[in-house]
Amino acid sequence: MSTQDKVKINKLRTGVPGLDEIVGGGLPEFSFNIIAGAPGSGKTTLAHQFVFANATAERPALYFTVLGESAIKMLRYQQQYTFFDPAMLPGSIRFINLSQVVLEKDLGAVLEQITKEVEKANPAVVVVDSFRTMVRKPESDMDLQSFIQRLALFLASWQATTFLIGEYDEEELRDNPIFTVADGLFWLRQTAERNSIVRKLQIIKLRGQDSVPGLHTFRITDAGVQAFSRTFGLTARKRNPPSDRRLSFGIAELDKMLGGGVREGDSVLVAGSSGTGKSVLATQFIAEGIRQGEPGIVAVFEERPQAYAERAASLGLDLETPQKDGKLTILYLRPLDLSVDETMHSILDAVQKIGAKRLVIDSLAGFEMALSPGFRADFRESLYRMIFALTGIGVTILSTVEVDESFTEFPFSTYSISFLTDDIVRLRYVSIDGQLRKIMVVIKMRGGNHAKDIREYEITDKGVVILGKRLTNYQGLISGIPVHSDRPDSTEEPSLDTGIEHKT
Amino acid sequence: MTAAPGMRDLAHRLLTYEAGAGKNSEPIESPTLRVYEKLRRSLGEFVGVAGFYSLASRALALATREAPSLNVAQLSGDGALQGLGEIETQIDMNKDRAGEGGIILIARLLGLLRIFLGEALTLSLLRNAWPGEVFDDRNSVHGRKA
Repeated sequence: MSTQDKVKINKLRTGVPGLDEIVGGGLPEFSFNIIAGAPGSGKTTLAHQFVFANATAERPALYFTVLGESAIKMLRYQQQYTFFDPAMLPGSIRFINLSQVVLEKDLGAVLEQITKEVEKANPAVVVVDSFRTMVRKPESDMDLQSFIQRLALFLASWQATTFLIGEYDEEELRDNPIFTVADGLFWLRQTAERNSIVRKLQIIKLRGQDSVPGLHTFRITDAGVQAFSRTFGLTARKRNPPSDRRLSFGIAELDKMLGGGVREGDSVLVAGSSGTGKSVLATQFIAEGIRQGEPGIVAVFEERPQAYAERAASLGLDLETPQKDGKLTILYLRPLDLSVDETMHSILDAVQKIGAKRLVIDSLAGFEMALSPGFRADFRESLYRMIFALTGIGVTILSTVEVDESFTEFPFSTYSISFLTDDIVRLRYVSIDGQLRKIMVVIKMRGGNHAKDIREYEITDKGVVILGKRLTNYQGLISGIPVHSDRPDSTEEPSLDTGIEHKT
Repeated sequence: MTAAPGMRDLAHRLLTYEAGAGKNSEPIESPTLRVYEKLRRSLGEFVGVAGFYSLASRALALATREAPSLNVAQLSGDGALQGLGEIETQIDMNKDRAGEGGIILIARLLGLLRIFLGEALTLSLLRNAWPGEVFDDRNSVHGRKA
C-alpha cells in the first residue's frame, strides 16, 4: 500500500507544553485514552488543558464528572490556571454530572446517558472523570468489559477523542480490560525523594504513532502541566554533519595546541582544581565567539550573572554589551527542587532563543549540586542527552569541572562524564622551584590532531596566557611534583598527536 | 450580613425578566420559582442533584435569616423548592414582601456561585440560561454591575 492510500490520522494539540513532542506531534484524533495515576498527580489538570485547547462551539467538549471531586470545586480550582477560559463554559465546554445515574442505576444506564448527551452535543472531546468511580461496582467482569468496549466503540464512531481518568495502580495494568481497549495510556507518577517531589510522565502505549519512550519529568505550575521531553524537543531535528570548522579560544597558543581550535559541534571539558582558571578559560571562549559573531550562552551556578560579567570585565572582556544586544545570555540557575530536565530545558530555550553557537556550563559540579538530591541520580544521563542533542545541531559546548587535586594521580574528571566529551583540556598545579605554578595539557580531541605538549600558563589581567614552549626540563609534571632534569626548555613548535583517544 | 448588592441587582433582573415571560405561560408560576428552576436545571447538569441540593440548602438558610417569611420554603430531595408558592402568588417585584424574599433567595444562590466559581464563570453559566440583555448593565435598576 502506498503512502497515499494510508489513512491520515490527524494529530490534536494536547495543550500541555512539551507533551506534543513526547506523543509524536500531537494526540491521535478519535483515540480512546486513559490518564492514570495517584491522587494529586495532575490527571484532571492535564485533561482540562486538552479540553481547553480543542473544544469549540461547533464541536464542544463534554466533561462527565462522577463521584470524585465535585464539579464546583473542580472548576473553582481549575480556573486558577492560566489556560482556563471561563467564556468557554458552557458553550464550548459542558460539565455533566453523572453521579445520580451511577449511584442509582447500572452500567447500561450510564452508557445510555452518555450516549444521549453525545448524540445531542456532537462533541469533539469527551472526558470521564473519574472513570474509576464510574465502574466501581460492575456486576461481573464481563459486564465491565462489555461496557468499556461499547463505550469505546460508540465514542470513536461519533468521532470523539476521549480521555478516561482513573486512579489506578500499576499492578492493574495486566488484568484490567480498560488498558487493553485503550489506544493511549498516559501514566502520571509522583514520588517523594528526600525532601523533593519528583513528577514523571510515561506514555505506556499510544497506537498509531511513535511516542518518545521512557519517563519524562513534568511540573504543575500556574500554567498547568508542563512536560519536559527526555529528548528536549530535538528529536525531529536532523543532526548536522560533522564540521571541520575550528573555533578559537582567543588564545593563539591554546588554539595551536588544539590543532587549530575546538572543532565546531564538539563538547569540550575543561578540568582542573579550584583556582586553575577554568572559568577564565570558559569566559575567554565565549567572549571570542561573540567577537566572531557567534552568540553564546553561559549557564552559571556558583555566582550571579553580574559578578560573572564583572569578573570578565577585569580581564578586559566586555560581556555587558553583548547581553544588551541579545548576543549573550548569562543564565543563573539555582534550581533547588527543579529537575535536571527542567533546568536543561531552560538552557535549551536560551540557546534556541538567541541562536547560540557556543554554550558554557560553569560548572558541572555546581550544576549537580544545585539540583535537589532526588534528581541527581538522573544527572549524567540527562546531561548526556542534552549534550548529544545540542552538539547535533552544531552548538559547541564547553563545560568546566572541578577535580580533586592529587599529587599521585591525574584524574580527568571526578564526575565520570569524560565519556560525553569530545575534547578534554586538563589544568593543574605543579610544584616547581618552590612555586605553585600551573600547567595545561590537551588530553583528548576526538577525531583531530592535538598537541601532546604540557604547557605552563598564568592567569593575568588578560586572562589565560600560555608561557614559553613546552616544559622539557622537568620529568613527572603530571604528578604535580616534577623532577628537574638538565634538558633545556623546548624551542620546537608544538608536536601534534594524531587524535588517538585516550581511555578515560 | 445581607446579600451582596450586585447579586441582589442581578437576581432582581432575572426575576423581572421571568415575571414578564411568565405572563404568557400557563400555569402561572412565581418568578422566583421560574428563576430557581432554571438554575436548578442548568446547575444540576454539571454539579449533580446532590451538588445543587447542597448549594440551595445553604442559600435558603442564609436567605431565611434575612427574610424570615422564607421559613415556609423547603427543599425536596432533588433540590426542588417547595412552599414558596403559598406566600408568593402574584408578584409585584417592587412592593411585595414575598417578592423581596425571592430576590434574597436567588441573590444568595448566585452569591454562592460567585464565591465558588468567580464572577466570570458564574455569568457564563447564567448566560446559557437567560438571554444576553438580562445581563446588560442598562437594565440594572441600580446602575451597577452584577
